[in-house]
Amino acid sequence: MVDSNQAQASEGPARVRRGLIRYRQLWALLIAVLLLWTYLSFASPYFMTVQNLTNIALQSSVVGIMAVGFTILLIGGEIDLAIGSTQALAGTMAALLIIQRELPIWAGVLIVLGMGLIVGNVNGYFSLFTKVPSFIVTLAMLGVLQGLAFVMTSGQTIGGFPEAFKVLGHGKVGVIPLPVIIFFSVTVVVQLVLSHTRYGVELYATGGNREAAELVGISVRRVLMLAFIASSMLCTLAGLVLSARLNAGHGSFGSESLLDAVAAVIIGGTSLNGGAGNTFGTLLGIILISTIKNGLILLGVDPFWQQVAVGALILAAVLVDKTIKGELAPGDLLPRLVRR
Amino acid sequence: MTVSAPPGMSGPNGNGALDRIPGPVMMARGVHKSFGQVRALIDATFQVDEGETVAIVGDNGAGKSTLVKILTGAIQPDTGSLELDGTEVSFRTTRDSLQLGVTAVYQNLALADNMTVAENVFLGRVPTRWLRVDRRRMEKESAELLDSLAINVPDVRARTALLSGGQRQAVAIARAFRSGRRLMILDEPTAALGVQEGQKVLDIIEGLKGQRVSIIVVSHNLDHVFRVADRIVVMRGGRIVGSRRKEETTTADIVHLIVGTRE
Repeated sequence: MVDSNQAQASEGPARVRRGLIRYRQLWALLIAVLLLWTYLSFASPYFMTVQNLTNIALQSSVVGIMAVGFTILLIGGEIDLAIGSTQALAGTMAALLIIQRELPIWAGVLIVLGMGLIVGNVNGYFSLFTKVPSFIVTLAMLGVLQGLAFVMTSGQTIGGFPEAFKVLGHGKVGVIPLPVIIFFSVTVVVQLVLSHTRYGVELYATGGNREAAELVGISVRRVLMLAFIASSMLCTLAGLVLSARLNAGHGSFGSESLLDAVAAVIIGGTSLNGGAGNTFGTLLGIILISTIKNGLILLGVDPFWQQVAVGALILAAVLVDKTIKGELAPGDLLPRLVRR
Repeated sequence: MTVSAPPGMSGPNGNGALDRIPGPVMMARGVHKSFGQVRALIDATFQVDEGETVAIVGDNGAGKSTLVKILTGAIQPDTGSLELDGTEVSFRTTRDSLQLGVTAVYQNLALADNMTVAENVFLGRVPTRWLRVDRRRMEKESAELLDSLAINVPDVRARTALLSGGQRQAVAIARAFRSGRRLMILDEPTAALGVQEGQKVLDIIEGLKGQRVSIIVVSHNLDHVFRVADRIVVMRGGRIVGSRRKEETTTADIVHLIVGTRE
């Protein structure tokens, strides 16, 4: 009894040090967010207001839910480019079923979730059983699903959800909006699954070395199929939340979210090669992006620059990541001619 | 199933052939395998006895890998049968053979570098407690296992990427040992290693022999083969062309069999 306590006590500092090293990217990101917040709170009187911070949190939530799904898949070494379209189709279907067809809310939500399940299975099936890379499969699905969303409504916006449905987007628990709570819960629950269940260990192993995982008897296809399904289901959830928030469904809602979600995941430190990453990094990544977008507006920059900023941020994050891993020397960035 | 004490210590060390229970652990009968026009394996009949270490040698393309892959279920034979402990088995995947205690350590693709040593040792059979991965148990048991095999690894919580080639091979062998109590297949366990590290891995294999595991070693290095094997099986052109007990043969004899200047 005494022995084990002593062992634990002496292990404390080492454990903390390991934590600091292992999660250095998270700490760096947290510091970046705090620095940015400090700067913006001086640069604009509107930044540090409850209203504005709530806005940032709300904007982060819908994309964040999708980004968590994207994190799961990328850890497994796969990718889903159809996340934005899946979300758009979910929102459109919800509007069509609940508003136009006047289905009960539970029935509409259930059907939409069923759609997410099917989409995940289709993505997974073609990526895992036909050996077509998921990059291509989900690029095709991006077109298919977005197209379907437009076809269903003939490109029209369908608006006017019942109040009970709108709660999903506008409800609050205390002062915290429901979408934020959903996003945070998803982030925590998914990371608990990834860190502490056998499934999580098998997913990291699969992403790290698929052949090795297969050889030790992990059912790689099952593991990845579940990841595809999780990704699509989370996009569906995001689509429901977004349509409730906007009180409408349209095929173009969420078409920009792919860029933001991918950026959040990469900034959050999930490895592009699979095998590493966590949802808290993704959470901080999406907060950083939303803050930058918000800051640009508050500073009076043309809103079209937002996309440029996010795109540039993706590139920067990848370069920083590769430099940290030692795969890229900063000098290599300069063209050969300039270096001489 | 735990490995709290090294059981090999109490058993016969060194040449304990007399003490072994006779009878094959694994038996392959009349196995054929072709890849298109190439006949990779022709009428191969092969057995490994309880506690025996068999080396498979032969030139590149002799059919060693094909035979080994059939024994683990990584590929399926065109004709012929496999028996494990006297009962016929058919492995559709490596998972099937794993469940019956047959494991292989392949060159280079054994470990997930992003995971810790403990996670790698337990990969595929991660212990859980109330759905939660039992890391404490994993770390404790893998440290004990590595100790019992005299494998030196700084910390079982270290990422595998930080280990040397020999340490990685040792971790891979430890994992195979954990899950493959009937038969362990080591494919070129020393090929990618320096001299010292190679010797270390041979020491580990000798330690395994003390624990009465049946082992198949595929190797090009005859020195290594003669050090660890009880019996040497030679393959050439997809056929098994000879099987010699170590005491009854010489390096020259084996070389002749490999290149085909004597049958």
